[in-house]
Amino acid sequence: MSRPRTLRRQLLTWLAGPLIVLWSISTLVDYDIANRFVNLAYDRALLESALDIGRQVKVLNDRIYVDLPEVAIQMLQSRESGRVYYLVTGPRNEFITGDPDLPPPPDPLSAKINYYDDEYQGKPVRIVALQLPVESGKNQGLVTVLVAENRVARTEFARLILLRMMLPQALLILLAAVLLWYAVGRGLAPLSTLRKEIESRSHRDLSALPEEQAPQEVRPLIRAMNDLLQRLSGTLAAQQRFIADAAHQLRTPVAGIKTQTELALRQSPSGEARATLHQLHTATEQITRLINQLLSLARAEPGTERAHTTEQLDLNKLVREATTEWVPRALARNIDLGFDSSQDGVTIEGDAFLLREMLNNLLDNAVRYTQPGGQVTVHIAQDAGNIALSVEDNGPGIPESERERVFERFYRVLGTGVEGCGLGLAIVREIAQRHGAEVSLGHGAGGSGTIIRVAFPKTI
Amino acid sequence: MRVLIVEDDPVLADGLTRSLRQADYAVDCINDGAEADHVLAAQGYDIVILDLGLPKIDGFEVLRRLRRRGVKVPVLVLTARDALQDRVKGLDLGADDYLTKPFDLPELEARVRALIRRGQSGGSSLLNHGALTLDIAGRRATLDGEPLDLSARELGVLEVLMMRSGRVVGKEQLAEQLYGWDEEVGANAIEVYVHRLRRKLEPAGVAIRTIRGLGYLLEKAPNV
Repeated sequence: MSRPRTLRRQLLTWLAGPLIVLWSISTLVDYDIANRFVNLAYDRALLESALDIGRQVKVLNDRIYVDLPEVAIQMLQSRESGRVYYLVTGPRNEFITGDPDLPPPPDPLSAKINYYDDEYQGKPVRIVALQLPVESGKNQGLVTVLVAENRVARTEFARLILLRMMLPQALLILLAAVLLWYAVGRGLAPLSTLRKEIESRSHRDLSALPEEQAPQEVRPLIRAMNDLLQRLSGTLAAQQRFIADAAHQLRTPVAGIKTQTELALRQSPSGEARATLHQLHTATEQITRLINQLLSLARAEPGTERAHTTEQLDLNKLVREATTEWVPRALARNIDLGFDSSQDGVTIEGDAFLLREMLNNLLDNAVRYTQPGGQVTVHIAQDAGNIALSVEDNGPGIPESERERVFERFYRVLGTGVEGCGLGLAIVREIAQRHGAEVSLGHGAGGSGTIIRVAFPKTI
Repeated sequence: MRVLIVEDDPVLADGLTRSLRQADYAVDCINDGAEADHVLAAQGYDIVILDLGLPKIDGFEVLRRLRRRGVKVPVLVLTARDALQDRVKGLDLGADDYLTKPFDLPELEARVRALIRRGQSGGSSLLNHGALTLDIAGRRATLDGEPLDLSARELGVLEVLMMRSGRVVGKEQLAEQLYGWDEEVGANAIEVYVHRLRRKLEPAGVAIRTIRGLGYLLEKAPNV
């Protein structure tokens, strides 16, 4: 399974890969440089030893000998860089002093001082060969001084230098990676701000995303998104306009059918014809309600062109007026409709038209579904955080299992025997959400009936 | 009474015409705005029922021209639109009432009656409600022709209730009607008057209903 590509990982790969390759090359070069300088320094010390020995080459009675005091020999054997071996041979390559089986220099010696690598006693050694002229009659010629030392010391020293060089470089690379990680995070912060902005949005908010604070690179993305939002809200508006227009267009012919039906019923037809006209009349009532609800929904939804004007509203007054309009219809069904206003003044910010529409739908449901002789009461109450508008009835109630579904469009509780189209509560919810209010549904007082509560957050 | 209906939908226009003719009005029906404008300029009506969405000249324009000529005939506007702006615009242009399609026929007829009554200023000062009659000018009420013994305050309450028969009257509205500028308004006092009035009217079958939290309502008279 491939992991999703992240900008961080990509940038790190692009930066860290070459850095590690460069670091490796630099290590090789450093190793070479370290070796070279270590060799140079050690070779010089080695030569020093050879010269020291060379200075002690003396000729006495035609015999060449080396006058090495015991102290000097001890010094050679106990040098810090390890034991030093030496060999002095005469012009005819005869042994004079030292370790006789030191490997001889590769022939012929081209210069006065020669360095070479070899093995001695199974260990790698570095050897300097120094040629010194001696003048002692027949013994005139070149004395060769070989001084050898174990290479281990210089290798270790070179390694030490290398390590000292590589470590800071490695730290630098690590630091760069950490900085990069952090910088990518910082650089991507505007994107995560954008994400939060989009996540926290309500689905009805199709306004443009803020562009000002975003860095130059993110702006084209925001602009593209805003463009999409704009097209989307244009399409939504067109759709709603279509629904609204269609509903409006339907009203006149429906008014015609309704008027004609009512007129026909007045002529007191009998039997079948009367029953048919009654059905026709019921159907017209239903279609009228459906048209009105479709319009309400189209108006309550986002993207409508109707300017929604929010203002400070006296909720008691608004609800009293809207409820009063329902009294004749409630009385016609022999339902006792009442209003329980809040004692204190209740002001909320909202759209009076939509809130009235919401209450109309709540009351329509309550009056429609409550049995004759029943009671419907509108309450306004407030507590510390909320202003609650509720409509309570002692009708048949809504079963627990249906409570969430009744808010869906065109959903109807079966077996109520009441004509409806199932848009009422969808409208209620839509309008409540527009006002930042929560809609909840429960049993009425005493465990029967229905109470629908719309809780508005208090704005202070 | 002469009624002019301006409506372009033939089915609705026919229904309205027949319904109003049955109520003994003399009805003319026109189906476009330009013709309506002509007819209204030439003839007088007691009420105009005007649709807004008309061919040639729309209802708003017909109304505007009518009012510009200084004609005060009551106009009931019918509309398929119910946007608040339209309603306000219609009323601003001088419409007297407003009905959204589709409507109940009895509702339309009631509004037509009310508008005609309002149009005849200085008309009858008698209010009827079943067997109950209130003479506003004479400040007295009769039940089946028998005078009722009501105090001035009780008469005041009855007047407001009868004027808005079938509709809810809030306590505040009653208080406003009953008291002068500087008198203290008491909800309890209203309750007392209503209680007394109710006791006097009940034997005649006239009921004043209390609507919880909203006010009172004089129940519709059984078929007048």
